[in-house]
Amino acid sequence: MHRPESTTLSAKDLTVHYPLRSKGLLRAVDGISLNLYPGEVLGLVGESGCGKSSLGRALMRLHEPTSGTLSVLGSDFLSLKGSKLREFRRNIQMVFQDPYASLNPRMTVSDALSEPLRAHFSLTPQEISKKVGRALEQVGLTEQAKHKYPHEFSGGQRQRIAIARALVLDPKVLIADEPVSSLDVSVQAQVLNLLKEIQKNTGLSMLFISHNLSVIKYISDRIAVMYLGKIVETAAREDLFKKPLHPYTQALISAVPIPDPKLERERKRIPLTGELPSAENPPLGCAFHTRCPWVVPRCLEERPNLQAVASGKQEVACFESGKQL
Amino acid sequence: MKPLLSIQDYKAHFYTRRGIVKAVNGITYDVYPGKTLAIVGESGSGKSVSQLSYLGLLPAPPLKIMGGTVQFEGRDLLKMKEDDLRKIRGDKISMIFQEPMTSLNPYLKIGSQLIEPLVIHRKQNKKEAWKAATQSLERVGISRPSHAMESYPHEFSGGMRQRVMIAMALTTEPKLLIADEPTTALDVTVQAQILDLLKSIQKETQMAMILITHDLGVVAGAADEVVVMYAGRVFETGSVDDIFYRSEHPYTRALLRSTPRLDKLEKELPVIPGSPPDLIAVTEGCPFYERCSYQKEICKTEFPKESTLGPKHKRFCHAEKLS
Repeated sequence: MHRPESTTLSAKDLTVHYPLRSKGLLRAVDGISLNLYPGEVLGLVGESGCGKSSLGRALMRLHEPTSGTLSVLGSDFLSLKGSKLREFRRNIQMVFQDPYASLNPRMTVSDALSEPLRAHFSLTPQEISKKVGRALEQVGLTEQAKHKYPHEFSGGQRQRIAIARALVLDPKVLIADEPVSSLDVSVQAQVLNLLKEIQKNTGLSMLFISHNLSVIKYISDRIAVMYLGKIVETAAREDLFKKPLHPYTQALISAVPIPDPKLERERKRIPLTGELPSAENPPLGCAFHTRCPWVVPRCLEERPNLQAVASGKQEVACFESGKQL
Repeated sequence: MKPLLSIQDYKAHFYTRRGIVKAVNGITYDVYPGKTLAIVGESGSGKSVSQLSYLGLLPAPPLKIMGGTVQFEGRDLLKMKEDDLRKIRGDKISMIFQEPMTSLNPYLKIGSQLIEPLVIHRKQNKKEAWKAATQSLERVGISRPSHAMESYPHEFSGGMRQRVMIAMALTTEPKLLIADEPTTALDVTVQAQILDLLKSIQKETQMAMILITHDLGVVAGAADEVVVMYAGRVFETGSVDDIFYRSEHPYTRALLRSTPRLDKLEKELPVIPGSPPDLIAVTEGCPFYERCSYQKEICKTEFPKESTLGPKHKRFCHAEKLS
């Protein structure tokens, strides 16, 4: 895969720590470096509580990162303030999981879509109407949708509206946080194909966050696997499934049920004992060592960094990587 | 083998201000001892209501049972008095639900909740029941069970809470376990642990299980037989292999094709156009009519009769052989 040098978004050592009442710190994002390249879909996968949504929100500055640097389209995003920041935000937009909660029930579709346009540009009503119409067309809705309210739509259509609202400003980066998780299986494929098509037509870069590995595999060019506030592996999608290097990635892949009874009967699962430790009190050394089948004494003391493997395209944070479970 | 549970032409509707919601609109299938029957469907297909309603677990009104029979060990649950039904529910028929946090009382110790079925149904005294409940916690893989008995639900993770729910459902050694999306709220690594646990318990006790789920992957791994539901109707029933390899229903096929799979690198997923119908507006015809690529005139007005394709395999569809 050709890897362009320039990045659309580049985070270095990003952390998001939430102070707790108990005076402790919840390290939701614990030193993550991540690049998003022009025109790619990067899938971010992990289980609940691993910090993937916190990372997504920090990249949008919906929650201020505690430390680290973040460059978006060549600008130092974290240093932007006031009107400069407001202006810059049009470049990076987000789609959330629950289209019932992320749309204002008292705004018509047209209101919801024209609000960002009014906030960012001074346009005539005709120009706004034209842009709204175009965004709706992009997501497969008709002009008639304009004057309706969210409750008049099904879940899948609402998610289309939320996507149109994110697209109306022509963003360069789209962060989609579990955008199909609340949708029915038969509707899920429609929205996934829509996001794929939009990405292709507009060339935007997309960070697609999900717990569902099958969905991530379908939509992503490249995948990052997250565990307890850290990225443990990144790889092109073919490589991640052909040759997963991190023991957590291997266990995760082996745990996903496949809708094929024969395969299910034959396959061997890599059993992971226990559950995700608390991010308030993460294990010392490698965060995965409490559940890892390859654990060696070094893992208990030292934290492995994400490092490129020989081929250069895959990165893994494990001292013992390369074994197969 | 005689079925443990036999549902015949069962109908349950909700009478609401907006109109009649035909949540369960004439369903028929059997459940056998030692076997797992999976009910697959999307939200609103009636898969949960089809089970909760005959157990008397839904408020009536608005629920109204419109007809059919639900035979359990030869007795019709629909004709049973509430008192008799209560004796079966939580004893011979147990349930586990999706959200283990909301199905446990946060104010009560795990132990006090776990002994309830034994005290109520088996008339055991609390001390005996406490001992038996501690053992059942051990059986579901909870370490330090005596300590767990004294803990409160919030002290447990989601996976552990679901284990507690399973332990509670199993204390009375039920003949039938109804598991309503038991792993949907759990992470996939924990989901695998819970499904394995249920399977091993079933092997040991020969209980029958009804597994309600929308996840086709879970069905493929856990079910012996499958019922595919859509908008209150059964579309297809069969062995798990019938449904996944020899499906003759357009909806089942489309659903299987539109689900992304981990073992494939799909270029483009085929989609089912439109979305599931409003249950108030469903007519006498096939509710999938508008989204179906095999639609015919007759589908609009008449729901198809059952046609048999194999020893277990049945479908409800007007279409000729599918391409």
